[in-house]
Amino acid sequence: MKGLAIDYAILLPALLPVAGLVLVLVADLVNPRLRRVPYAIAGLAALGSAAATVPGLGLGGGSTRETFCLTGRELAGTAPTVDGLPQVCLWQADALGGTLQLAAAVSALVCIALAWPGAHRRRPADCTREPVEAVLLLAALAGTVVVAASRDVGTWLVALELATLPVIALVALSGRRSAVAGATQLLVTSLVSFALLVLGVALWFAATGSPFLTPDAALASGGAFSAAPGAPTTVVFPSVSGGVVALATVLVVAGVGFKLSLVPFHAWTPTAYAGSSVPVATFLATVSKIAALAALLVVLRAVAALGTPALLSIALLASLSMTLGNVMALRQDDVVRLLAWSTVAQAGWVVLPLVSISALGVGASATYLLTYVVATLVAFAVVAVTVRERPGQGRSIAAYEGLWQRSPWRAGALALALTSLAGLPPGVIGLVGKITALRPVVAEGWVWLAVVAAVNAVIGVAVYLRWLRAVITAPAAAVGAPAGTAPTAAPVAVARRRPVMVAGLVLASAVLVVVSVQPDLLLRLLG
Amino acid sequence: MSWIVRMIVLLPALAALVGLLARRQRALAAAVAVAVSAYVAMLGLIQWIAPSRTADIDTIGSLPLGDLSVPLHLLSDRVSGLVSFVVALVVVCIQVFTVWYLRDDPRYGQFAATVSLFAAGMLLLVQSGDLVLMLVGWEVMGWCSWLLIGHDSERAAARRAAYKAFIVTRVADIAMVVGIVALSARARSTDLMAVLTATGDGTLLTIGLVGVVIGVAGKSGLVPFHDWLPDAMEGPTPASALIHAATMVAAGTYVIARLFSLYAGHDGARTLLAVLTAVTMVYAALLALAQTDLKRMLAYSTLSQIAIMLSALAAAPAELGPGAGISHLIGHAFFKALLFLGAGWLAVLAGATALAGLRGRLRPTGGLRWSMGIGLAALAGVPPLIGFFTKDTVIDAALEGATGGGGPRAWIVVVALFVTVVLTAAYCTRAWLLLDTPVAATGDLPDPHPAVVTEEDVAVVTAADSADDAEVERVHAHGHPGITLSAALVVSVLAALTVVGTLFLTSFSGGVHIGLFSALLSILLVAGAAYAVWSLSDRGRVDVADRVPGRVRESAVRGFGVDTAYVGFGRAVTAVARLVVALDRDVVDAYPRATAVVARAAGRAGERGHRAVPSLSLLSLLVGVMVVAVLGVAAWR
Repeated sequence: MKGLAIDYAILLPALLPVAGLVLVLVADLVNPRLRRVPYAIAGLAALGSAAATVPGLGLGGGSTRETFCLTGRELAGTAPTVDGLPQVCLWQADALGGTLQLAAAVSALVCIALAWPGAHRRRPADCTREPVEAVLLLAALAGTVVVAASRDVGTWLVALELATLPVIALVALSGRRSAVAGATQLLVTSLVSFALLVLGVALWFAATGSPFLTPDAALASGGAFSAAPGAPTTVVFPSVSGGVVALATVLVVAGVGFKLSLVPFHAWTPTAYAGSSVPVATFLATVSKIAALAALLVVLRAVAALGTPALLSIALLASLSMTLGNVMALRQDDVVRLLAWSTVAQAGWVVLPLVSISALGVGASATYLLTYVVATLVAFAVVAVTVRERPGQGRSIAAYEGLWQRSPWRAGALALALTSLAGLPPGVIGLVGKITALRPVVAEGWVWLAVVAAVNAVIGVAVYLRWLRAVITAPAAAVGAPAGTAPTAAPVAVARRRPVMVAGLVLASAVLVVVSVQPDLLLRLLG
Repeated sequence: MSWIVRMIVLLPALAALVGLLARRQRALAAAVAVAVSAYVAMLGLIQWIAPSRTADIDTIGSLPLGDLSVPLHLLSDRVSGLVSFVVALVVVCIQVFTVWYLRDDPRYGQFAATVSLFAAGMLLLVQSGDLVLMLVGWEVMGWCSWLLIGHDSERAAARRAAYKAFIVTRVADIAMVVGIVALSARARSTDLMAVLTATGDGTLLTIGLVGVVIGVAGKSGLVPFHDWLPDAMEGPTPASALIHAATMVAAGTYVIARLFSLYAGHDGARTLLAVLTAVTMVYAALLALAQTDLKRMLAYSTLSQIAIMLSALAAAPAELGPGAGISHLIGHAFFKALLFLGAGWLAVLAGATALAGLRGRLRPTGGLRWSMGIGLAALAGVPPLIGFFTKDTVIDAALEGATGGGGPRAWIVVVALFVTVVLTAAYCTRAWLLLDTPVAATGDLPDPHPAVVTEEDVAVVTAADSADDAEVERVHAHGHPGITLSAALVVSVLAALTVVGTLFLTSFSGGVHIGLFSALLSILLVAGAAYAVWSLSDRGRVDVADRVPGRVRESAVRGFGVDTAYVGFGRAVTAVARLVVALDRDVVDAYPRATAVVARAAGRAGERGHRAVPSLSLLSLLVGVMVVAVLGVAAWR
């Protein structure tokens, strides 16, 4: 591998989770009874990964931090680009990629805090559970970080699956019936998705003759076959290869649509969310979505060079997802299921700007994803804390009645998160995100799509206000009998409270508050 | 000198505040009210004698309204000095009289403070050189009139009258505000001078002038807004005197006089004003003739007299200016205040305000008899009292307008004025005969239809029950206390002013301006009408109004059912509002609610489609991939 120049400092965001993973395995080998140490290592690794992305955030205007660079096919003595092959780096992290990596690392950190284990084991049997969870979380995080920066089809595919497969295991790990059901559905859809992705990538290679997901490769699609000297066919119709590129792109969109849970590839979402524990659901709703969108953006940024104005299929998926997700979320009484359907709806919003395959659309999509991730993290964190406080019943909307009186800080965080998701003023960032997402749509003249989005924004408000109303209204029963329940419930709550979990909630809320007060910060991060 | 102008506006307002704070200490409240109003009257005298003639007296600085300049200046000239002096003088008289009149009222303090605030509103309107300040004064008076008329708030009739006055004038004020906005928008300034000198945009000018006319019609009680004023008699007599004599009702005349140079150049608005005033003066004078209650009769006479003032502004030629209207305003202020305070005094003596109860009660009262006689004679226009001069100035101005190219507009006014002169003299004579002829004289009279008349009389009196019930109750409860010297003195002063007040009017141009022919004609008409009433009523032994058929008379006493029309109008507005609400709820809101219903139904359908069956999801997946692939390739450009 003399042709590869490797800069390990740039690879640190991916290397740190992997190193943490190895450390956890080693620690587990040395002392299998450790419970909190693996999580501490995982948290530190995620934190380090987040810190390592920071140098790449300030990059403006197209400059990237790149490594794994192929310096040309012929190396000995000749000029690097002598045979027309462009210089390609297999790892390119620009401002957008770096921001997505940072978001993934921070989200993983919050998930790890939410999943922080208690001091005592409930059952002696599951003694290996904590190290395994930590390893799987770190593996998925590593995959997410890599996929955001990958530029060749091999890395891209492997990293994307590395981000997906550990999550299936995480869902299944609790061993409950519902968990297994959810994991099965997730597994099935992941397999189909992988098949579609591989097919898409194969078509890409066929059309472009290049294993790289770069604009140069896309531009070369017209003459790829004729350029290859030893190829059997010498006449290729450009229109045909253009169509193949289109098919490849659409198949990639469909494959990633599974992971983003776009309608009609969404069926696994509610089942898997409801079956898994709340921290894992959080991970599914945040880090997995970042991985999927990062993967999609890698392909679409390459395709953008072709000057393709718009994709009708993305418009269709976006409008279907928004509508079905909101309409279904409106009927849920279980907050995790509500958030699952809200994820479906928000996924529609995330891909909505991509109908315009351009720098504007890509930036808007990433912006919306980040606002969604921050708000969803807070909402899930509040759910996790509440479920920990009242096991068995913290998942129904009714359990949140009077939360404003019981714990105003938590209720405030939840209110801010819900209004952000709805796009209402206290959560300014949600409003900014929605406007940003609609801008490319309007700029390209997709009026009907903008109308569908506006209608869904209104339905979305109803979805989140339904939950919020329960939060800020006092329960009728609590007024009647406070004396009988409070003394018994309070010690339990105190005993079960985890400071680390609360720290995760505080971290997520702090990020949400900061970007709500100063949305400019987020917009500038993405260049 | 400008501080005087500011003080004239500011002091009554402060007096109102202090009076309200000191309302429990009756003596202090009375002292503040009387002393401040006397001081303000003195300041008004100074302003009139030595006017500063300036139009840019700052108040609170101009409002920063961008394109529109709102300097909020006060304007001082001889007219504003004279009018504010007269207003302040009348207010002093009323305050002094009130101390005696409301001697047993536990809420005297509030009443006196409200009168002070009312005076502040009127004086602000008089001194303002800015349309916004004018509107502020105008609205302050509107609100205070609600307080004063509803002073006896424990009586339902008083409350209703207060609300009626407030709502009717409020409705007309809509047009007033629109008009002021239009005038300001045209001039890009609310300053009076800028508004008067602005040029251009005839539409805005028309809207502005017509709007102001309608607003003035509301406050001044022109047809069709006139019916609140007779009902306003439910207030205590000093409040009636204040509202009628020099402030709220007359304020419209002053506003139009201030804008006269605009009206002089606009025929349409003046024609509207001329028609309204002509109809009002004749109609109100006719109704005054039929009233069974002294105060209601005076109220209708006010309507008629205000219409006369405004008709001067509607008919006078441009070069003559608004002097005729202003001078009748001043004359009317004196004799109407005199008549109301005298009526209040008489009501205390007799324990009633119904004419049937007051019959012959004036004769044994000495000074009061003289005062009421002077007041009624001035109202009728008997020379050399002030009423004669001011009314004939108006007639002369209208005649000049008619002969000088005013056309049918001025002729309507002239004819109406002469008819009104006859009617006014008639109802004044009737009132005097009823009040002054001893009851004994009627007893031995061979009445042609004794039974019928008595029955009708009783029916009418009980139907339109005595206007100032509170006063009657008060008298019944506390007997007949003698009037204090100061209160009696006030009535005498007003009577004296009614006699010599003409001298005031010589101070400004156009104040007194009498043509020989019209003066002779009106004297003849007055004398003829008086004689006719005298002979018709058999030298005062019967009520001349009894000769009117009973049914007509009763409905005339009730104002020909205008009140019912107002109620109907209100009901219609409410019905329209209900219709709009229903439309909004059932038609406009149907779409938003439909989305809710549709969303819920779609959710139910979606739930039915999501039963976590893997085969179903795989099927949808397959279809999805196919559709996406086909669409993607087909729509690729």
